[in-house]
Amino acid sequence: MENILEVRGLDKTYPNGVRALKDVNFTVRKGEFLVVIGLSGSGKSTLLRCINRLHDPTAGEIIFEGQDIAPLQGEHIRRIRCNIGMIFQHFNLIPRHTVLSNVLMGSLGRLTSLRSIFGLFSEEDKKKALQYLELVGIADKAFIRADQLSGGQQQRVAIARALMQNPRLLLADEPVASLDPATCHTVMDYLKKVNEELGITIIANLHFLSLVRQYATRVIALKAGEVVYEGTPQDITDEWFQRIYGQGAKEVHIS
Amino acid sequence: MTSFNFKRVTFDAVVFSLLFVVALVVITKPDEEAMLMLGRNSLVFLGGCVLGALVSSLFAAWGIKTAGDVLFTPRHLNKLETAVPWYKTVWGWQMAVALGVTFAVAIVKTNFSIWELTDIDGFQGAMRLFKGIFNPNWEVLPAAVNNIIETIFMAFLATALAIPLAFVLSFLCAKNIMKGPVSFIVYTLLRTVLNVTRSVEALIWAIIFSVWVGIGPFAGMLALMIHSVASLAKQYSEMVETVSEGPIEGIQATGATKLQTIWFAVVPQIVLPYISFTVYRWDINVRMATIIGLVGGGGIGTMLIQYQGQAMWREVGCIIVVIAIVVWLMDAASAYIREALK
Repeated sequence: MENILEVRGLDKTYPNGVRALKDVNFTVRKGEFLVVIGLSGSGKSTLLRCINRLHDPTAGEIIFEGQDIAPLQGEHIRRIRCNIGMIFQHFNLIPRHTVLSNVLMGSLGRLTSLRSIFGLFSEEDKKKALQYLELVGIADKAFIRADQLSGGQQQRVAIARALMQNPRLLLADEPVASLDPATCHTVMDYLKKVNEELGITIIANLHFLSLVRQYATRVIALKAGEVVYEGTPQDITDEWFQRIYGQGAKEVHIS
Repeated sequence: MTSFNFKRVTFDAVVFSLLFVVALVVITKPDEEAMLMLGRNSLVFLGGCVLGALVSSLFAAWGIKTAGDVLFTPRHLNKLETAVPWYKTVWGWQMAVALGVTFAVAIVKTNFSIWELTDIDGFQGAMRLFKGIFNPNWEVLPAAVNNIIETIFMAFLATALAIPLAFVLSFLCAKNIMKGPVSFIVYTLLRTVLNVTRSVEALIWAIIFSVWVGIGPFAGMLALMIHSVASLAKQYSEMVETVSEGPIEGIQATGATKLQTIWFAVVPQIVLPYISFTVYRWDINVRMATIIGLVGGGGIGTMLIQYQGQAMWREVGCIIVVIAIVVWLMDAASAYIREALK
């Protein structure tokens, strides 16, 4: 299988001097479900935001489908982002808009600014949006305001919005960290479905090792901005766990 | 010198210089001509400041707290004596004396006089006026109503024309939107221009425009509009600065343009406060339009100043009643609308 993403020597230093990523190297193959684990502040979120260039990397290469996107600027970044969907810990929907309109916003990258501002989404896009809502199981909520939904439902809307972009890569930044354990699995199951049925490569930041074992096809672990582990979830032993999360850490199981 | 040290010394110096100058005036009793020598007097004040700065530094060296210390030295560096009553501290006396002297100077400067206020002749003059006001001449009511309608529309047009300008400016004046070096220059420039515009009162704008386009409602409307643009842009941009980043990130991640990001992620968050501010601004503009009329801005204010100039108090009374009713109605309506928008 070919690589969809290759990260080489990625460094990120914030303006305040914090070095969030140190010489990060890894590759992602097409169709993988890669999970990034690590403590809060280990650089997981920074890593994802560098990949779709919400943050500017300080040094290194990010090769997405054969093109180094690290040095791109302005309009070119936007073009790349169209191919990379992203979902967030706090869903980041527009609360006052309907679910359907939130999903349609996934197609903004394809529309001219003027057309989208006048709300001229094509019938085809609307049909597609409804299909994706169907896929994540909340088509019946299409015309309800997004802030009326529960957390888990909002995250599913966010997945539908990301799918609307026809992404080849989906970034998920702590997608279930603010959900209750039951909803957690629903959302993870939909991500798995997206991964398996639509063949979209996923990179997700997760906290719970039990979820990692259940969903990931491969794992990398970050500690203080460095990759300290790369392998399959089954290979994470207690020793590795201690190394990633620090001495005395105990695994929390989520059922 | 650290910035809080600078603030501390400056504050103490100005307070000291104020006392110093007042003492000088009381002792030397300068005549009119001496009071008008701005250059020399400024030098005296500056000299007082330098002396004050020295005194402040002396106190600091002795470890005695001055008012500047209490106000500006950061909490973690400031070991405040606990449970010491203010009259046992230097800074307490410093503040008390400064306030007392300021109050005394103010009374002298405003010619404050109980005798004038209780003078029987003057009081009877005021009573004639009150009688006129509480016994309005309703014959001028039709004209007053026509004029206040003019005032209301003047305020409305000023607000309406200000909205689109202020809307666009509000994004250009918001720190979280204007990132990057070029944007920051635009931001700083616009902020400065708007701050200056806003610090010129609408009344003064009305004087400028009544010379420019002639006396009348058009001049008044322009004055209100300029002032509304500056005020609304500031209030709007503060709203833009408090929007949550999440939706912005969410929309950016879809590959949206900057314009799309503002429209879909920022605008929905600010629409309601915008409307609320705008309704309130209209309300303010109706009051201001009345005042502006006094200097030739047209509407009810101009009518008021004309009758007042002829000492026709019963007609003035009628106009005041009309203004009071309209301002009260606008106030109630705008409060009601703003409440409904929450």
